[in-house]
Amino acid sequence: MSKEMHPAIQDLKSDLEKGKVSRRQFIRMATLLGVSAAGAAQMAGLALPAKLFAAKIRRGGTLRVAAPVHKVTHPAQFSWISPSNQIRQIAEYLTYTDANNITHPYLLKNWQASDDLKTWTLNLRRGIRFNNGDEFTTDDVVFTMNQWFDKKVGSSIKGLMGAYLNPQGIEKVSKYQIKLHLKNPEIAIPEHLFHYPAVILNHRTFQGDFIKAPHGTGPYTLVKFLEGERCVVKRRNDYWNKGADGKPMPYLDSVEFVDMGTEMPPMISAMQSGDVDLIDFGDISGVQAYEALKKDARVNVYPVTTNQTRILRMRVDMKPWSDNRVRTALKICQHREKILGLAYFGQGLLGQDVHVSPKHPEYCPIDTPKYDPEKAKALLKKAGYPNGLDVNLAVGSGWPEIVRYAEILKQDAAPAGFRIKIQTMPNSQYWEKWTEVDLGITTWAHRPIGTMVLNLAYVADDKGKPVAWNETRWVDKEFSALLKQANGTLDVEKRRKIFCKLEKIQQERGSIGNAFWINLWTITRKRVHDIEANPSQYLWLDRAWVAA
Amino acid sequence: MIQRQATNENVPESAGNGAAVSRFLDGGWRKTKNAAVLLWASKTAMVGLLLVVFWVGTALLAPYVTRYSPTEQDWKAPNQGPSIHHILGTDELGRDLWSRLAYGARIVLVILPVTEKFWIPGGTAIWGVFASLLLGAALGLVSGYRGGWIDEIIMRALDAMMSIPIILLYLIIVAAIGASAVNVVLAIAIVGTPGVARLVRGLTLDIRTRDYVRAAETRGEGILYILFVEILPNAKGPIIIDAMLRVGYAIFAMGTLGFLGLGLPPPSPDWGSMVAKGREFILSGSPWAALWPAVAIASLVVGLNLLADGLREEAMRYQ
Repeated sequence: MSKEMHPAIQDLKSDLEKGKVSRRQFIRMATLLGVSAAGAAQMAGLALPAKLFAAKIRRGGTLRVAAPVHKVTHPAQFSWISPSNQIRQIAEYLTYTDANNITHPYLLKNWQASDDLKTWTLNLRRGIRFNNGDEFTTDDVVFTMNQWFDKKVGSSIKGLMGAYLNPQGIEKVSKYQIKLHLKNPEIAIPEHLFHYPAVILNHRTFQGDFIKAPHGTGPYTLVKFLEGERCVVKRRNDYWNKGADGKPMPYLDSVEFVDMGTEMPPMISAMQSGDVDLIDFGDISGVQAYEALKKDARVNVYPVTTNQTRILRMRVDMKPWSDNRVRTALKICQHREKILGLAYFGQGLLGQDVHVSPKHPEYCPIDTPKYDPEKAKALLKKAGYPNGLDVNLAVGSGWPEIVRYAEILKQDAAPAGFRIKIQTMPNSQYWEKWTEVDLGITTWAHRPIGTMVLNLAYVADDKGKPVAWNETRWVDKEFSALLKQANGTLDVEKRRKIFCKLEKIQQERGSIGNAFWINLWTITRKRVHDIEANPSQYLWLDRAWVAA
Repeated sequence: MIQRQATNENVPESAGNGAAVSRFLDGGWRKTKNAAVLLWASKTAMVGLLLVVFWVGTALLAPYVTRYSPTEQDWKAPNQGPSIHHILGTDELGRDLWSRLAYGARIVLVILPVTEKFWIPGGTAIWGVFASLLLGAALGLVSGYRGGWIDEIIMRALDAMMSIPIILLYLIIVAAIGASAVNVVLAIAIVGTPGVARLVRGLTLDIRTRDYVRAAETRGEGILYILFVEILPNAKGPIIIDAMLRVGYAIFAMGTLGFLGLGLPPPSPDWGSMVAKGREFILSGSPWAALWPAVAIASLVVGLNLLADGLREEAMRYQ
């Protein structure tokens, strides 16, 4: 390992020894650079993170999951989490990011990044077979990657990885080794390989419709797939990954995904009665189920803090939000404790008008602005609105926490002079114009690294035009330069120093308010064991088992 | 109905202005008395009346019968059950449910919020029904009186409208023009028009054959005079009963639109959206926020139906 180790690992290790980075951050960064999680844990002086509970695991049984069963054709086209949660039982990813945002090799044995982070060598795990008997080799990986970049397929991965990689940069070295030659340095490759549409396909049999040839390397095989009804998978006996008892996983005989519609109450009652063991919250909010089931003795509730948030976004190219005083005034009209308490039942962390979460590795602690309508009023006066102003706030009515956020803000911003008119619309309508409205509240998904989201939403492209997801059109020269610097900085502590500046700029003159970061939950019946509460709501069922 | 025709026959033509007013007042008093007698005679109508009067009274006196503003949030007390401080409890933002119900009734029955600061008297449901009456009556009168191809065109167009399921039609209209109180009025008016028009047309077909209409035609009265002075007043009995039922439908429509997120924008105390939001908390042990507005909608609609039914039965009996 030491021979192939990335030079930055030594720096990281010395930072760890000097106490500059925490053990968790060290493990995270070291694993990204190709050290195995066990190795990194050892270097950090921790015990091996193996779980020793082989004695009590029971094999057999069926797990029933309430989940929407959408139409599935090409996995690279996934734009919803739930279908990926069904297909990921059958087919797998090259890497795996766990609940602590640490990325592990999965179908890969390991990876190495060059010193300049522009060449990545991916080594495949050997001896893995697809469930139809074909061997898993680099041909499958190259085929799948080419699918991602194929315009006809239209995968979101092209948007994610296209900025630094094109199909010509994918080089097959041998049957078990691939090299990626990047256009720009990128540190988050292993995390991107775990993006939910990045399922590895069988190059021999895949012809555009996964359900017709459901050949993956995963622990289960497809038995039945009825759109809008159910998806049933059963265990395969020759899965490559071994369980705690030394035999191949998975422990369950089968998993049944049952489509119960989108209304939460039937699913909650099904949980209470034991008709289902688990609800898939990939695409539906779990907060109602959490509120209903948190005190129920028949279920286990596993919370997970996430980097998912609701962003109060102001278009800086439109009046009155072009004036930073007006933006600041609205931001300090957020009574954050109240918003988190009422809008999301206190289940999360407070936000600081910065799109970097306290759970991001490079987060730099920053003060939480206080609710101050007096100061806001003075700011509005200075900005030329002594009598206050009328503004429209667009929200999707399908996100109850966002509607509550808006209602609370309306009430609390009134003393400062903001007369907010809440414009509700169906979520689909909000998504049609989320980048267009001048003032609105948008949901932003969990992303494991701070730079990922800042690069998506707060910068301009090479021509100076705000990037596609820059919904507020806010582009700040100093901010962009610092962010570029952060993108190429490996050392967490150095990155954090840059992030201190980035966060300060965004808080002081940025275009967003954010009052809270949300928690999510995995809720299971008591008989279900070893389910990981994943911040992206991915379901991992190879290790899961059920008591008799 | 026949009795009332007799009184209407001497409405036209000149008389001293003062005499006309006193006769009108007299007539008004007599009619009110007749209506009261009718009401008193019917237990059904009385129960309905009580329910309706309760909600109208609550709506009119909303600022006096509540302690809190309907939008005042108490973030320390969300989703509370009934208590001394909040007689019906609080919703998910700690707002007093009784106060929201009372102000919600106001929007339904007493005021129409045109913008957030400007409102006009007459509730959203009432304006909706009134507008559908105006439109429907005009179309029905013309169609029934003129007949022929005008009748065909109007009625076939309205039939086409009626073939669209009502809730779908509401959704299409509100989704197209946006959610606001005025647009809800428009939606109720548009959806209600075909029904009113059919009813008025039917009545007109009957009334236009009467002698007093012939007499007016012979006198050379204009079509507007005949439609609105000769025919419409003589058709008003069934129209009033129908309108009462229609207010009930309009309240349902408001509830439905609010429930589907297309009613009045938050934080308006819209009954339908109160049910929709409160529904989220039923399973977590706070059914109040969904229960009370549902009870309010049901009691007001049932009240209006009982009142209309009772009145109709009694009126038929006298005939």
